[in-house]
Amino acid sequence: MGFLSVVANGLSMGAIYGLIALGLTLIFGIMKIINFAQGALLMVSMMISYWLWVATGLSPYILVLIVAPLMFLMGYFSERFLIKPVIDAQKDVREPVSVLLLTAAFAIVLENLCLMLFGADYVMAQTSFSSQTLALGSVTVSAARFYGLIIALVVAFLFYMFLQYSQTGRNLRATGQDRNAAALMGIDVTKTYAIAFGIGTALLAVAAVALIPFYYVHPSVGAVFMTKAFIVVVLGGLGSVPGAILGGIIIGLIESVAAQYMTATLTAMLVYLVFLVVLFIKPTGIFGSPYEW
Amino acid sequence: MKGINKNYIILAGLGILLCLLPMFVTKPYYLQVIIMCILWAYLASCWNIIGGFAGQLSLGHGIYTAVGAYVAVILFNTFGLSPWLGMFVGGGIAVLLSLVIGFPTFGLRGAYYALATVAIGEAVVVLLNNTGHLGQFLIGGAEGLSVKMVGVSAAAIQFNSKVPYYYIILAMLFLIIFIAQWIKNSKLGYYLVALREDEDAAAAMGIDVRRNKLIAGAISAFFTALGGVFYAVLIRYLEPTAIAGAIMSNQMVFMTIVGGAGTVLGPVIGGITLSFISELIRFYLGSQLMGLHLFIFGLIVMLMIIFQPKGLIELKERFKRKRGSGADQNEGGESGARSASGA
Repeated sequence: MGFLSVVANGLSMGAIYGLIALGLTLIFGIMKIINFAQGALLMVSMMISYWLWVATGLSPYILVLIVAPLMFLMGYFSERFLIKPVIDAQKDVREPVSVLLLTAAFAIVLENLCLMLFGADYVMAQTSFSSQTLALGSVTVSAARFYGLIIALVVAFLFYMFLQYSQTGRNLRATGQDRNAAALMGIDVTKTYAIAFGIGTALLAVAAVALIPFYYVHPSVGAVFMTKAFIVVVLGGLGSVPGAILGGIIIGLIESVAAQYMTATLTAMLVYLVFLVVLFIKPTGIFGSPYEW
Repeated sequence: MKGINKNYIILAGLGILLCLLPMFVTKPYYLQVIIMCILWAYLASCWNIIGGFAGQLSLGHGIYTAVGAYVAVILFNTFGLSPWLGMFVGGGIAVLLSLVIGFPTFGLRGAYYALATVAIGEAVVVLLNNTGHLGQFLIGGAEGLSVKMVGVSAAAIQFNSKVPYYYIILAMLFLIIFIAQWIKNSKLGYYLVALREDEDAAAAMGIDVRRNKLIAGAISAFFTALGGVFYAVLIRYLEPTAIAGAIMSNQMVFMTIVGGAGTVLGPVIGGITLSFISELIRFYLGSQLMGLHLFIFGLIVMLMIIFQPKGLIELKERFKRKRGSGADQNEGGESGARSASGA
């Protein structure tokens, strides 16, 4: 593989990391909660997308129209019935860690539920383009990965526009900045929290349909992306939308380029090292996080 | 005075009962379950020192069990060094590691500290999974590392019967409860609670926040490593994901939270209850459905965080309070005696 092809592969994987991290950073930015169930929810999205693909035979990219609303509802109601009671009970605690642990337990529940329902098999949606490659000049890149890159970038752009210019987006940002002031301005904070969690989860559905044509799904696939998403959000700045995408692309590039020169272990260690160095030197990340660290 | 005496009698009775337990439980499988329950209670208590008392949400404590276990096993396999001594080498290295990790990470707040520990924990798993040899030492990589068998030997902590293991882990549990009680009532304990509740306020009061976190972290790491060594001699096989991974790290946290973080006996209660329930499900239903016991485990943790966030230990307090308000003869007598003895 030529160097440019390596870069292209890194870009596509990185953009999908960014998409997964987008939900994480949104939920943190607005609710100040690290969602440890993000990986498990991604796995659930991938499982649902895969089985829908098996059942309908439609292109996974069309299935997003079903999976994304489904995941939105799942996120919305998870927030309403699981997370909200804990947030309410911890209102006067300075650093509410219970919610974080709750999402971690939720992840275990989801993973093992899927293990019971679907078994531990590795499955992948073998679509017509799964093994195709595209040649753009001298650069060859797998078609599924290339489509994934386009989807991730387009969705991230749309999401950014939505946050900036729609009324719901403004409500979300206002609640993130100061939930008491937002409430005084007539924003329904409770509902906004649930919407934030719902959107954060729906974004995972997009990442899921982009992934299943070239990535194996199994009940513990979430853990792989979970740690990456953590690294990406801290790198980009917790709470920053452009930071999540850029952080994702940086991690994707480091992984694919470094893999050309060193063993897989060293590559993995390099990613953790970059993460820790950023955390210690500039914990607010590249784009800066407006939140206390 | 009367009330305090009663508590001591209950504790002493419970202690004697636990010491005599192997006389009644003769099936090795049952004893193994009890040993694992106590081991989890012990590990949860170790985590509680940094996670409960000091409120630092470490999600990578598996690295300390791994360091203890690997160091002790490698020293035993290569040099034949008794795990009784290897325990302290492993514990010492865990302390050093906790200082090296703690110095930069304890400057981070809340969520950032938790994320840093997750990343470090994952990095250690990757490292262990991919390191076959380190110089002359066999580490085993993803295949895992077996303890060299030498037959029944007290020095090597290898027995045919489960009973000696039971007494070792029971002694370790008593030790950690004693240490937790001591920390709780010491100056360090008060510093930790102060910095847990409000770090800035604690610093303003003249408490060296980082230093106290480091001390608590080192104590916690040392005893967690001892737990890792016990795991190694009991199971006799180390697998990186099992000993260092997220499951190991998270279980300690969940058990402490379910029992009651920041209390002396909460983690013990949480550890025993959760691991017992988990084992019960695995024994009766596990063969039918893979993942069921962890599913129910996660569900219990979620329900506890939602409905009983202060842990099982608070149920007792609540019960006491309820009874006390009905007929406060007992309660009043106890507090009266306490203030009298304090005066």
